[in-house]
Amino acid sequence: MTEDESEIHYTSGLPGILGTLDTLISKVEAVILALGVLLMALNTVANVVGRFAIGESIFFSGEINRILIIMITFAGIGYAARHGRHIRMSAVYDALPATGRKILMVTISLFTAAIMFFLLYYACFYIVDLYGKGRVLPALGFPIFWIYLWVPVGFLITGIQYLLTAIKNLTSRDVYISTGVLDSYDDTETEV
Amino acid sequence: MITIMVVTMIVLLLLGFPMMIPLITASIIGFVMTFNGFGQMETLIQQLMAGIRPASLIAVPMFILAADIMTRGQSAERLINMVMTFIGHIRGGLAVSTAASCTLFGAVSGSTQATVVAVGSPLRPRMLKAGYSDAFSLALIINASDIAFLIPPSIGMIIYGVISGTSIGELFIAGIGPGLLILAMFSVYCVIYAIVKDVPTEPKASWSERFVAVRQALWPLGFPVIIVGGIYGGIFSPTEAAAACVLYAIILEFGVFRALNARDIFAIAKSTGLITAVVFILVAVGNSFSWIISFAQVPEILLNAIGIADMGPNGVLITIAIAFFIGCMFVDPIVVILVLVPIFSPVVESTGLDPVLVGTMITLQVAIGSATPPFGCDIFTAIAIFKRPYLDVIKGTPPFILMLMVAAGLLVAFPEIALFLRDLAFR
Amino acid sequence: DTWRYAHEEYQGDVQDVYAQAFKKYIENNSDHNVQVYRFGELGESNDIMEQTQNGILQFVDQSPGFTGALIPSAQIFFIPYLLPTDEQTVLKFFDESKAINEMFPKLYAEHGLELLKMFPEGEMVVTADEPIHSPADFNNKKIRVMTNPLLSETYRAFGATPTPLPWGEVYGALQTGILDGQENPIFWIESGGLYEVSPNLTFTGHGWFTTAVMANQDFYNDLSDNDKQLVQDASEAAYSHTMEHIQGLAERSLEKIQQASDEVTVTRLTDKEIEAFKERAPQVEEKFLEMTGDNGKKLLKQFKQDLKNVEQQ
Ligand code: NA
Ligand code: NA
Repeated sequence: MTEDESEIHYTSGLPGILGTLDTLISKVEAVILALGVLLMALNTVANVVGRFAIGESIFFSGEINRILIIMITFAGIGYAARHGRHIRMSAVYDALPATGRKILMVTISLFTAAIMFFLLYYACFYIVDLYGKGRVLPALGFPIFWIYLWVPVGFLITGIQYLLTAIKNLTSRDVYISTGVLDSYDDTETEV
Repeated sequence: MITIMVVTMIVLLLLGFPMMIPLITASIIGFVMTFNGFGQMETLIQQLMAGIRPASLIAVPMFILAADIMTRGQSAERLINMVMTFIGHIRGGLAVSTAASCTLFGAVSGSTQATVVAVGSPLRPRMLKAGYSDAFSLALIINASDIAFLIPPSIGMIIYGVISGTSIGELFIAGIGPGLLILAMFSVYCVIYAIVKDVPTEPKASWSERFVAVRQALWPLGFPVIIVGGIYGGIFSPTEAAAACVLYAIILEFGVFRALNARDIFAIAKSTGLITAVVFILVAVGNSFSWIISFAQVPEILLNAIGIADMGPNGVLITIAIAFFIGCMFVDPIVVILVLVPIFSPVVESTGLDPVLVGTMITLQVAIGSATPPFGCDIFTAIAIFKRPYLDVIKGTPPFILMLMVAAGLLVAFPEIALFLRDLAFR
Repeated sequence: DTWRYAHEEYQGDVQDVYAQAFKKYIENNSDHNVQVYRFGELGESNDIMEQTQNGILQFVDQSPGFTGALIPSAQIFFIPYLLPTDEQTVLKFFDESKAINEMFPKLYAEHGLELLKMFPEGEMVVTADEPIHSPADFNNKKIRVMTNPLLSETYRAFGATPTPLPWGEVYGALQTGILDGQENPIFWIESGGLYEVSPNLTFTGHGWFTTAVMANQDFYNDLSDNDKQLVQDASEAAYSHTMEHIQGLAERSLEKIQQASDEVTVTRLTDKEIEAFKERAPQVEEKFLEMTGDNGKKLLKQFKQDLKNVEQQ
């Protein structure tokens, strides 16, 4: 499990305090991912136990899972960007010479970052909109916009990661598919 | 509008952009063109969120987690060892058992993605070790998982039944015939493949070896009991069965086998979360894409353009098959059913086609489409789980897709494949 | 131009009948076109509601049960035995009630929605693995409810275990026994095939499935007086057409069900049996008041007054 190692020993490519902060964010993301998944299992099992042991379904069980899945997805996309794990079809890209790949990777990273910031902007917009409408979660009873607060954060971190990947590619000789992952042929596993 | 969206999507896809980008860029273009600007982008965000809302999706991370714990611990190994002592000496035996396991597991769990994970993660390494190529193994796992759509319970059939007013009980029965037909076709292919590629067999195990293997697998045999017994016995929904497997796997690997520790569980859960995220973000952006296509009435316009109203029954059935096949290559199958079924239902009624046959055909196409590039969701799952590049994952799929299309052709020519059991049970 | 209209049911269901009649009236009497979107085509109930509030859609049909997340008082329809079972009385109530025709429009207007029509779709019928005669029969039964806290309170009061589950999972869960029963209007039980897996139908008389058609208020206010009148007339025309459609719909659906299956049993509670359930209604009413405060209190009071007026006639 080589990429697990690389994830555990991840250190940010950023200098100084920014680097420390970035490494910290990466660790927090990992904890959120793991906890989110484990809580989801716990919540789902507890619902079954509740139904059979005390004849009472956990009424908000579904809503808890909905919150967790948003949390996992949007903490996960930033983490995936950092470790070069987003799914892509790299056939044409792989056929290019190194310079071509570098140019293409810079373009991909910048464009992806732009799209992420675009979605960030409108996700904020959407949350403000929901806040104004005042809709609540039917079972838990608190305003629904709370469960979406992860969304802009996820887009922000992902966007920053792709921006950094572009900078990294512009400032170094090798081709990077994420800030920490070098694009190479001998280890195809990193390409996915 | 649709042309610009599709062209943009394919260009970005081929250039190697992360796959969420082609889909979301095409959706943004669709929104801008439909609403003349950026005024309605909050609906795009709303539909991103709606894409990952269905409660049934929760089964996916749960099965990923359970499968990962089993694979990194000893449960999966013990189960497979047991199976191998019985079938290891037969040509193509492992491949056929993989296909059968996918069918059985998929039938019960109802989720093709969960099947790719739960059956594929332990069995793929074993197939590689036995000498099957990776392309073949991946394609087999992905395509055999899709038989899950046809064998009850099937979410696709339930939704079709409700929208079209067709008996869900009849649909369920009708799906079994084609499901088994496809499994049989795949099995034959597996055996031929093993003979042609000369995949080596293992020496035949003695009964005492088999006995030891079964004893070793006693605890892990609880998994099929939880899944099959739990779901058909009315104790668990598929999602709950998955979560129960997680709990059981933790108990086994930590308590009984002592194969894993707390640090491992954290790493496994994190890796599950990561895989879930990269797949679900695609489900989310795919949903925004479906929404704008549906809002702009694209399917209806296209179908009227080809003159669906003037076709005979077989023509309509084939058109339906093609429409669902293409739709499911790009968009979530459930959304395709919701959008297309009402459009087709007047023609289906006027041509006098049996709605149960139509439903079976649609379900079959949904199954094929989910495993077909570019956007079949099972492909994403396989990429994320097995950490293989996109092209490696789809390289082996053409023979399987061909077989599935032959199955579809057979269904047009011989509707009895679906209707025989139905007539037996209901007429 | 094209007006867009979304509802939360499938082809041929009551909301679709209303929508198609509305569309027909508008298109026959003006140059406007109406595009109808059915369940799931543009998302779930709450999605189409937001889209209407945002002005992407001009018209939406949403049941007050779902609107509860936005307007808590709209859950009033879940208080059991508030409405009578007699169809004619109920229809008359919806025609004449001050609560329905004056108070509800104000509540919706606070959320940018112009309430056009509120009407009953059908009486709620419970299906279960056994016929239900008394609250004791509900003991330990897992009954599927929409995700709505007040509806859950109703079933808890009846003695059942309310089990919230998304609609798509209901059939499978009934089949495998994760659920023991569910409630829906009879035409849904027929079109969704629920009787195949949950064959014992009980007419408990505890409530009506109600729905509401509304327009985006900015859109509506910007219409010319002629077009406003057109929309109102179309609503009325669609309403009378739909009321004609639902008269006898329950009987027709039940007939279809009984033709399709020999296993089905039909139980209609006697007045005495109903009393046992009615006794448990006050705790739901209390919960409603607790959830909705002064607004709910005023609404409930008017509701009861209107009912009295209708029943006295
Ligand atoms: Na299935
Ligand atoms: Na697909």
